[in-house]
Formats: sequence, C-alpha cells, structure tokens
Amino acid sequence: MPYEFEEILETIKMTEIEHFDIRTVTLGISLRDCSDRNIAVTTQKIYEKITRYGQAHVSLAQEVERKYGISIANKRVSVTPIAIAGDAFGIDEFVKIAETLDKAAGEIGIDYLAGYSALVQKGFTNGDLNLIKSIPSALSLTKKVCSSVNIASTKAGINMDAINMMADVIKETAYLTREKDSIGCAKLVVFCNAVEDNPFVAGAFHGVTEPEVVLNVGISGPGVVLKAIKSAGMVDFQSLAEVIKKTIFKITRAGELIGRKVAEKHGIPFGIVDISLAPTPAEGDSIADILIAMGIEDVGAPGTTAALAMLNDCVKKAGLMASTSVGGMSGAFIPVSEDQGMIRAAQKGNLSLEKLEAMTSVCSVGLDMVAVPGDTPTDTLAGIIADEAAIGVINDKTTAVRIIPAYGKGVGDFVDYGGLLGKAPIMTVRRLSSTDFVKRGGRIPAPMRSLTN
Amino acid sequence: MTLTEEKIRELTLKAIHDLGAKATPTLVKEYIERELANADNGIRSNNSTGTSNRVILTSFGVNNTGIVSAITKILSDTGCDLLDISQKIMQEFYTLIMIVDISNMTKDLKELQDLMNTIATQLKIKIYLQHEDVFRFMHRI
Repeated sequence: MPYEFEEILETIKMTEIEHFDIRTVTLGISLRDCSDRNIAVTTQKIYEKITRYGQAHVSLAQEVERKYGISIANKRVSVTPIAIAGDAFGIDEFVKIAETLDKAAGEIGIDYLAGYSALVQKGFTNGDLNLIKSIPSALSLTKKVCSSVNIASTKAGINMDAINMMADVIKETAYLTREKDSIGCAKLVVFCNAVEDNPFVAGAFHGVTEPEVVLNVGISGPGVVLKAIKSAGMVDFQSLAEVIKKTIFKITRAGELIGRKVAEKHGIPFGIVDISLAPTPAEGDSIADILIAMGIEDVGAPGTTAALAMLNDCVKKAGLMASTSVGGMSGAFIPVSEDQGMIRAAQKGNLSLEKLEAMTSVCSVGLDMVAVPGDTPTDTLAGIIADEAAIGVINDKTTAVRIIPAYGKGVGDFVDYGGLLGKAPIMTVRRLSSTDFVKRGGRIPAPMRSLTN
Repeated sequence: MTLTEEKIRELTLKAIHDLGAKATPTLVKEYIERELANADNGIRSNNSTGTSNRVILTSFGVNNTGIVSAITKILSDTGCDLLDISQKIMQEFYTLIMIVDISNMTKDLKELQDLMNTIATQLKIKIYLQHEDVFRFMHRI
C-alpha cells in the first residue's frame, strides 16, 4: 500500500472529526474596466462581469469538495475597491452599486461579496469620501456585501480624519441595522496595512495590482491543531512548535491542492493560500481552546500573548514551506464572536478589551468581531481604532477593527447572528475620554524604520 | 502542452538553421510538429498538481459479515478496479482501507459516493471516499 494505515486514518480524522475544512475559495474579479459616467451603465457592467466570471464558482467548488472529501465552507467573491471603480459618483449612486453587488452575489449563489472599499491612508478623493458616507446605507440595504476602509499604513501613517469618519460610520451602521443586533458592523472592517489578496471577508478586496481574475483560498483547521497539541502532552516549547508546524504543514498542503483544482476548473490563475487559522463557533474549532491546551487557564491569563505569538509564528513557518504562494493574512484569527472559547472568556470577564488589544499585536489581524455597548461614544471608538492602527503601523503588520457598538445593548447582553458570524457578549469599554486627542484630526506621521526599540 | 516564450524562440531559431532557404509553410509546419513530438516531454510547470485516477475508500464500524462483499459488489458493478486492500480488526471494530482505480468507472464519483452511503446506512458503518491526491499532498513531499 502506498500510504501507511495511520496516514490515511489521520486525514480521515481531520476532515470528518476535527472540523478541518477549506474556509473559503474567493474569486477575485477586477472591476476597473466597469466605470462609466452613467451610473446605469456602470451597474450593468458590474453585474454582467461578476455574473459572467462567477456563475460557475459555486458549482465548481462543490465538484472539488465531493472529489476530495474536504468541505469548502464558503464561496465568496472579492472585487476592486468600489471607490476606485466608481470614483466619480455621489453617495446615492454608490448605494446603487452596493445593491447591484448584492443582486449579483445572490444570482451566482455565493455567501459573501467583499470589496465595497476605499483606501484612504494618505488622503481622500471625492469618490472615497462619498463611498465612506454611503457605507451605513449600503450595509443596511444589502445582505451579502462587505465593506472595508484602509485608514493607515506603515508608509503613510495614520489618517486620523478617516478614523473619525469611520467611527461615525460604524455608529450609524449600528443604528440602521439595529433590528438585527447591528449586524451591519459585522460586515465592516477598518484596516491598517490592508493586504490586496486576502480571501477572508469582511476585509477582502481585489487589489489594484491583482490580475483580471484570480482564485484565492483560505484554510481553516483550529480543531486539528488543538487535537495535535492535546495528544503531544506536556512537552517543551521546541517540541510543541514541531507538533504545530507538522499539523499546519499538512492542512496547508490540502488547501493548496483544493485551491489549485478549483482554479484549474475555472481556467483562471491560482493566487494564494491564506494559511490563517480561522475558528468557527463549532465546539472544538477554537483558537482560545488551543491557547488553553498550551497551558494557560483561560484566554486573558498572563502568558496568553506569548502563547498566541508562538502559535502564529508556527502557522507562518509551516505554511510557507507547504505552499508555493502564501499570502493574505496568514496567522491566527481571534474573532470573539466566532470562537466558543473566546466567547466564554469574554463572558466570564477573563478577557478584557485591553488584553485582546495586546494579543492583536502578535496575531494575524486585530480586534475582530468585538461587541461593545451601544452607547460607547464615537470618540472612544475612534480612540480604539487609532490604538489598533498604531500597533499595525509600528510593527509593519496588518491590523483591523471590526467592532459592533450594539444599538440599545449594554454589558451583560449578547449580539447573536448565528452561522459563521456567531454570537458575542458585550464587552466593557473604559469610560475615559479620548475626545481631545482624536479631534485634533490630520495625520499621524509615518514612523521611522530603524532604531526600532 | 504549454510552451514558454523561451522554448518557442529556441524552436524558431532551430527551424531557421535547419531549413534555411528551403522553408515553405508546409515544411515549417511539419518540422515543428516533428520537433514537438521528439521534444522531451519535460516542459512542466513546477506548480503542477499532477493527478491520479485513484480514490481511497475508508470504512469502519462494528464488524459484521458481508461488509467487504457489499462494498466490492458496488465497485465491480460500477467498473472500478480494486488495487489494494488492507484491514485491521480490534475486538468488535474493524477498519478497512481500499485503493480503487476509477479510470474505467461507469458512474461519476458523486454517484459512487451515493451508492456507498446507501449500504453504509444499511450496515450501520461509515464509508468515506477521497481522491488519492489529498493523501499524496498531505503525506508525501
């Protein structure tokens, strides 16, 4: 037999018991050729292009799923940042584009379409401003559209005006979608150092340097890593790192295979594998549980940041070896609402917003799917975003804030979205004012890159 | 077969050198076809995923009579070729692994999976079918 009995059983165990799946196959489509002076023409071009390239996306992915016995949780599409494709338009017209995107996403049967985005780390064009202002309406009138705005980068610094605008946008989105636990905010990401080939929503977009159309893959297997760490027992850190790397290597290989096969079926180039460990609300499929298995009592205990840093580093090292093209975020995601262990820790009060912030300096993204009281002041939200952006700018990494100031809710309540978005307890936010700081406006200058102590 | 630009240039120069002034469209066509046929079939992308026509069938559950016969009956009915079989029995439980060639299969993989699911439910066992590539990618470098 060309494979050992144990090898075959290991793979079966990963896919059938330990929730290993391909989180997403994301089809990136450029919309740069869709702009026109006339909004009706633009929306028609966008609709036609997305449905043309995307019509077989779901069925092709399902074929590959069946053939390899590995499930693909989500089929998604990312598009060129809409502020670029529609720079000449006003607020109402941008909303029309959002509705077109939603309609196209529904037509081809995908789960999410991301790229209702603007990149404003250095400053705004008129289109950028209009798109940002249109986000609350766009997200409240659509179901599948996801939005992101990049407000800082290591090269440009932190655009504080953009942060203040985004804090307003988040509050208004929360209000407009108040009937559904402010779900609009779950589809809105504020980025620092956004990457152009990220297949994970809500922050995905098809960067301007990307080809016409490309297929990116995000894999997911916290359950598999958790099992491996548990069976390794009490070993020292070098040995533990080996265990984690070996496991990640295998699941990345599977991700690479699936991505290439789906791209092959589409007849389009294969882009990247995002090797991020992405949790799901399913029991056992949790990053928090991995950290606990590494030895801390609960997420939030001293040592949590070190444990996460090591996990994140192992993910990168093994993933890079296993795939020819690693990209996207490629680390460990720590969204609160999408991870049973994180939910538990936040609910018990073991995990505070401040500890979570520290963890984001060594994880793959940032403050993700964090619910806070609905009456959190806008300036406080701006302060939280600025802190997160600072971590990203100084450490030259991607950070993001996806925060939900749940309208009408306070500490002790929950927001509950079901599905992959999960449910989040409202976390306590410090009541100290950031107003005089964030209201200065302007741009925090880009940092220097040497003498980095 | 995809040719790199470099390879095309190389072929063109070779044709010019060998045919010289004799070159006519027909001659050039014949020449290129011959050269391509002779060429080492080694132009491959390093990223090639390769692929085989084999699936790995794994089954486990409480041991009982007739399990192997039920599975192999479906395999032979659908034109599959059983290449290898291996099983382990621990007390009342069994684990069974088969490597199956599906090159001449008369149904598609989905239909085969459905057939296997039917007997899996009847016999109260589990049967998984996965393409061999997954195992090769995960366990072989």
